[in-house]
Amino acid sequence: MAATTSIETPQKILLTTSDNVELKVDRDVAERSILIKNLLEDLGGEGTEAIPIPNVNEAVMKKVLEWCEQHRKDAPATQDDDSDSRKKSTDIDEWDQKFMQVDQEMLFEIILAANYLDIKALLDVGCKTVANMIKGKSPDEIRKTFNIQNDFTPEEEDQIRRENEWAEDR
Amino acid sequence: MATPTRTATPSGTSTPDASGMPPMPQKDDVKATWNYLEAGVEKIMNDLRGGMDMKTYMGLYTAIHNFCTAQKAVGSGGFTGHQNRGGAHLLGEDLYQHLIIYLQNHLKGVQDRSRDHVDEALLTYYIREWNRYTTAGQYNNHLFRYLNRHWVKREMDEGKKNIYDIYTLHLVRWKDDMFAGTQESVMRSVLKLVEKQRNGETIEQSHIKSVVDSFVSLGLDESDSTKSTLDVYKEYFEKPFLVSTAEYYDTESKQFLAENNVVEYMKKAEARLDEEKERVPLYLLNEIMTPLMRTCEQSLITNHSAILRDEFQSLLDQDRQDDLGRMYKLLARIPDGLDPLRNRFETHVRKAGLAAVEKVSAEGDSLEPKVYVEALLEVHTQYQDLVNRAFNGESEFVRSLDNACREFVNRNKICKSGSNKSPELLAKYTDNLLKKSTAKMTEEDDMEKLLTQIMTVFKYIEDKDVFQKFYSRMLAKRLVQTSSASDDAETSMISKLKEACGFEYTNKLQRMFQDMQISKDLNTSYKDWVNDTFEREDVKNFVDATYNILGTGFWPLNPPVTPFVAPIEINKTYERFAKFYNHKHQGRKLTWLWQLCKGEMKANYIKMPNTKASPTLQVSTYQMALLLLFNDNDTVSYEEMAGATKLAKETLDPSIGVFVKAKIVIASPDGAKPEAGTVYKLNTGFKTKKMKINLNIGIKSEQKQEAEDTHKTIEEDRKLLMQSAIVRIMKSRKKMKHQQLVSETIGQIKSRFSPRVPDIKKCIDILLEKEYLERLEGDELGYLA
Repeated sequence: MAATTSIETPQKILLTTSDNVELKVDRDVAERSILIKNLLEDLGGEGTEAIPIPNVNEAVMKKVLEWCEQHRKDAPATQDDDSDSRKKSTDIDEWDQKFMQVDQEMLFEIILAANYLDIKALLDVGCKTVANMIKGKSPDEIRKTFNIQNDFTPEEEDQIRRENEWAEDR
Repeated sequence: MATPTRTATPSGTSTPDASGMPPMPQKDDVKATWNYLEAGVEKIMNDLRGGMDMKTYMGLYTAIHNFCTAQKAVGSGGFTGHQNRGGAHLLGEDLYQHLIIYLQNHLKGVQDRSRDHVDEALLTYYIREWNRYTTAGQYNNHLFRYLNRHWVKREMDEGKKNIYDIYTLHLVRWKDDMFAGTQESVMRSVLKLVEKQRNGETIEQSHIKSVVDSFVSLGLDESDSTKSTLDVYKEYFEKPFLVSTAEYYDTESKQFLAENNVVEYMKKAEARLDEEKERVPLYLLNEIMTPLMRTCEQSLITNHSAILRDEFQSLLDQDRQDDLGRMYKLLARIPDGLDPLRNRFETHVRKAGLAAVEKVSAEGDSLEPKVYVEALLEVHTQYQDLVNRAFNGESEFVRSLDNACREFVNRNKICKSGSNKSPELLAKYTDNLLKKSTAKMTEEDDMEKLLTQIMTVFKYIEDKDVFQKFYSRMLAKRLVQTSSASDDAETSMISKLKEACGFEYTNKLQRMFQDMQISKDLNTSYKDWVNDTFEREDVKNFVDATYNILGTGFWPLNPPVTPFVAPIEINKTYERFAKFYNHKHQGRKLTWLWQLCKGEMKANYIKMPNTKASPTLQVSTYQMALLLLFNDNDTVSYEEMAGATKLAKETLDPSIGVFVKAKIVIASPDGAKPEAGTVYKLNTGFKTKKMKINLNIGIKSEQKQEAEDTHKTIEEDRKLLMQSAIVRIMKSRKKMKHQQLVSETIGQIKSRFSPRVPDIKKCIDILLEKEYLERLEGDELGYLA
């Protein structure tokens, strides 16, 4: 009995977030991040030393790990995951859509963390969410959505419109 | 103790920590960032064993990430200036260039230090440095992954040349900055090591294996860095390796041949080839197998093939199967290596066959068929065995054997007297085997084996029609005289012939067999008919007879050459049968082949000593007719015999001769020849101890006559065969050139005998005369329906 439970219990590792909080997490969950996966491979993950994650704070890290937990059974991310099918579609599965219903600040933090930690699938979901926010909006609406200041001169704006005429919806 | 650093407040001011790393740089400071990275890379390159902590690892990765995501360049890039980049400008080139310079410097040092080593020490050094370098390359590839994912990827997507992912960059640098300057001396050391091993010394094979792996890794596909090619390995390893192999074996083989004989050399070459083959999986790449073998074969076999082949004849003469096998295996490895051997082998077998026939031909005309056939078989068996054992049963050698056998079976000293001699003797041998009279009864298994042997010789016979003629005559005799040893053996032989030559060839033979079976049934129903038709008392007095009804078309039998009046007893008997038969099969004509009939007569006038039984005389029907005359008179004159039987003198005289010789009758005057005036008296004082006395003795002159007749009919049959073939061809082609017709006719007939061209021309002339064919313009012939 004891032997079986020990095999079924996944190996735990420790992460230290930028705000100096230690998080305990299953190794296979953490390894959705290629960065952590490579690090554990290169340095050997046997020790109890916590892995410092200097670019991500506790709140974002927890959110990221929630996503990793949900997707722990997905096909393992390869070093160069570049499948076109996922790139082309803006479809997001239901759980991920709900997961991404956060304030804009958090959304961008998640995207930045995914990029840093090298979690391709999460980065894609994040970018698609942003893309869906842009879709169908006019430049002014987009500026409003993301709180962007228009720094183009009228001439520049005119030039861009002419260059991109072919893409206009008519 | 170590507090994690927050990116939000880069610790530019914090002191160097326990890992000896400089402080974390500002994210947009190229110089500081590289300084930081260089310290890490240096540690990875030179002191990975010293270990790396997680903080440094994450620090390095984070520094690269932070540098590449710094906002500075985006602003400086400006909008209009970078339109053609099609998107945001990515940072990283500075780090990439710095890394290149670092690697170049590092490798210069590695290469410089390599000059301190030679031979095995150099290999050890090269491999150690290679392993260290490539391991570091893997680490750096992970640490620089952010660069790989963004800046490198973008550059490569845009088709930039000479930009590689970080690991590949390591290999490219090694190839240019280390490999190019050292590969020659490295290979020299490798080849020295291999030579040592070829000389029988033990070497560290793993060194060579590592060098091979390293060379293979450096084979980068210029157009697609994710793929690798064998170009580098082929050029810098395989090529020199093959050159040195050729040199080594050129020298060795020349020297060895100068000091040893050819057989010893073949053993040596065989061993060397095996050795080289085993070498490949030990530490070489499997790709080298084919070129390596070819190189060795060139040096060890092709270069000496003339000397090897010169030995072939003497090995054949001494029947050295193992050495012949060795030579076969060696020469089979090189292109066209065996052709000259095949020719020599064929000539050798033919000579052996001719010599064997020459030896038995000393017996002249009295040559036993058995001796002749066995002489042929012995040669064939010996060399077939050789082909199977030494030449692996290879089909081309089998063909050479067949060619040689066909030659000496059809054209040898015995055949000089008559080209049909081989098939005739073979048929006679077969007859002897299948005849009951053969003293030693052959066991069934042996019989099957002997028949198979006959077929072996038969296969080589060109005049298969001659064999067929003789065989069918002898079979007819065996069947009519019920002298066949076993029906099973007969059937087996016929089915073997059928298998070899087809249905048509054995059709008549099979029909003869059928006739015998039908006759058996017919005799049974005849007996029933007799019992039903006649009174039992009458039947008792009938001559007890059996009949064989033989179809004229299938049996090679001729009607009697002499007139004959059958005695009244026989006459009644056969007329009774004829009545029965005609009733059953109307319109069939029965011709009685008296010369083949025989009977038994009880000599009631003689008593066996000490018993009351009388002996039985076995006689031909002609003799029976003569002896029956003595039932009326003890003395019969020659004229009376001739008058009563009407037998021609050629048949009558020898028949009487047998009686006189056996003392059944006594001629008067004593010793008189069978001619008018001679009188014969029944020898009532005849004494014998045998129950059966055979007086039906074949007449010598008849046998010889028969063989000659057979040969004569063969000539006639051949003409018919050729004519029918010609007509068949012309019927389907309608028009044909003369020359073409001749060659097609040969093609059709070849399986039966080898027709001569003048004979075919004669046949065409006959057909022209008979107006089956007509001459057309320009050497063409036409078919007339």
